[in-house]
Amino acid sequence: MVCRLMRRGSLLRASLGLCVLAIGVGPAAAQSPTPGGMPPPPGMSLAQSAAMRFPQPVRVGDLLGRQVLQPVESQNVLGRVRQVVREPDGRLMVIVAFGGLFGWGARPIAVPVDAMVLLGQDMEIVAFTPDELRRFPTFAAAGTHVVPDDTIIRVGLAKPSH
Amino acid sequence: MRSPFRPYTLPDASVLAAHKSLIRSLERRGLIRGGLSLGALVMLTGCDVERPESVESALLAISRFNDRVQAWLFDPNRLAPTYPESMILRPPKFNAYYDVTEVKPVDGTSWRLDVAGLVAEKRAWTLPDLQALPQRSMVIQHICVEGWSYIGGWTGVPLRTFLERCGADLRAKYVSFKTADDYPSSIDMATALHPQTLLALKYGDETLADPFGYPVRLRMATKLGYKNPKWITAIEVTNTYPGGFWESKGFPWFAGL
Amino acid sequence: MRETMRPLVTAGRPLHPLPLRIMHWVNAVVMLVMITSGWGIYDDDVIIRGFHFGSFWRLGDWAAWSLNWHFAGMWFLAINGVAYLVYGVASGRFRTKLLPIRPAEVVRTVVDTLHFRIAHEDLTVYNAVQKLLYVIVILAGIAQVVTGLAIWKPVQFSGLVALMGGFQTARVLHFAGMAIIVGFLVVHVTLALLVPKTLLAMLSGGPRVGAQVSDKEELVR
Repeated sequence: MVCRLMRRGSLLRASLGLCVLAIGVGPAAAQSPTPGGMPPPPGMSLAQSAAMRFPQPVRVGDLLGRQVLQPVESQNVLGRVRQVVREPDGRLMVIVAFGGLFGWGARPIAVPVDAMVLLGQDMEIVAFTPDELRRFPTFAAAGTHVVPDDTIIRVGLAKPSH
Repeated sequence: MRSPFRPYTLPDASVLAAHKSLIRSLERRGLIRGGLSLGALVMLTGCDVERPESVESALLAISRFNDRVQAWLFDPNRLAPTYPESMILRPPKFNAYYDVTEVKPVDGTSWRLDVAGLVAEKRAWTLPDLQALPQRSMVIQHICVEGWSYIGGWTGVPLRTFLERCGADLRAKYVSFKTADDYPSSIDMATALHPQTLLALKYGDETLADPFGYPVRLRMATKLGYKNPKWITAIEVTNTYPGGFWESKGFPWFAGL
Repeated sequence: MRETMRPLVTAGRPLHPLPLRIMHWVNAVVMLVMITSGWGIYDDDVIIRGFHFGSFWRLGDWAAWSLNWHFAGMWFLAINGVAYLVYGVASGRFRTKLLPIRPAEVVRTVVDTLHFRIAHEDLTVYNAVQKLLYVIVILAGIAQVVTGLAIWKPVQFSGLVALMGGFQTARVLHFAGMAIIVGFLVVHVTLALLVPKTLLAMLSGGPRVGAQVSDKEELVR
């Protein structure tokens, strides 16, 4: 097999390529023409932007404990899903243990489910930056109702960011 | 029926024949010049060449060689590991060359699956036609070339069954796909006939959802994720290398697991 | 009697014979290709959340080309690696240069090094820590091929993947192997630059060793 490779003359060109590497690593360009998890366009409500993301049925119990990521190439961890609650006005909120280091010193914040998406086994917050989330008040349970594990809710999707 | 894979106008082939020697000398000259200028560029700039042509063609040559090695490694009788239904991720992970907001749902009632190429029966299939064929389910790991994976449960018509019903030439080299989202794709016949290669109609026990390829997508347990086109509109059996969307941008064609 | 005392020395081989030097430098280049293209592949789906390699560190301007570099480099790595292992065993180099490794010597060398007593006058003998590092990096290189094979063909080699605890674990092991090799490289390159004659020896062959002496001379000694 190797002999065939050499005969095709590609070995020579490959070794030329190897020499190129020894001198320097080329600059990079983004792969995806459209990165996933883009924030909603300006002027669009969270509900409207979530509706564009093909919300899929998901069991609340299957969301608990999921990592919550920032939609960037390095997939920074923002926190973990602790709970899903319904506010008195009917809005569904995901309670995220936010910040801290490896979960230590995290505090719960309530993020609208329409600001979040499913990314495989994880979730992402697409509508708020980490800075904005840092200014979120610590979640107070009073007046809200915990959504039971077996409830099916709908959450939008995103493609991986890179 | 005319193949949906053929362009409507073809360049006159005699032009190529008439200028064959010229083209060959041009290629050779280009290679030498490319090699020389690559060397010069590297010396001058410390290499800010993104992907010099000569490097690219060398890498692609090795990639095609790797395709042959992969085809040789592929055991048509080896089954991919399967998993219990309780492990199925619901919903599955979405990915495409565009974000989910760009997904254009397909209307299942007017949808038709065209069959072309080396088949006895070139007809358009409806969704009920496919639903009437024998179905098979599998719970398998989806592995993306990016590195992530998840367990998914798929139900549909084994592609082998479908090809047999179409009277396809099972000794042909390739099975090629066209999709509603302009994502051409193709696979080798050995993988097309593998028992874990399905024209999937369902995920879990539910009809395929819009972002995951409703009404029909390909699901293979023995290939990377990008080899599985969604929203399939046409299938062709052919001996001419059909390529694919990511393959034309540099990803390996065989992409077997 | 006097005649037998005269050592019958014939010129020995260089410390690093030519085939070994070629394999060393081929490996150096190929390893760089594998590591930096691997970083490009890694970035498409990070293993350590929050950590990715910047574009400067990646070989290949996006994932497909990092992948193509990686899958081209693998042949050079594997063929060169097998040649090196066969050479190392057949020539006895592994046995004479890398073994035995005694734990007490390792501890002593580490203590000496911490007191900045790095003995490198004699290039022909490796100290215990050097031996240990070389053995570790050789094993890590072999492990990379095995975990790499598992990631490349997780269905064809499903038994291998199961042995590693699944596809994602195989990925983590492949990443960890890279980290070990990069760790070795940092130490190895730093020391080579601190003691430049080791670097020159890998280019020129270094001092001649293994001079042949006659049987009679052996008896006298």
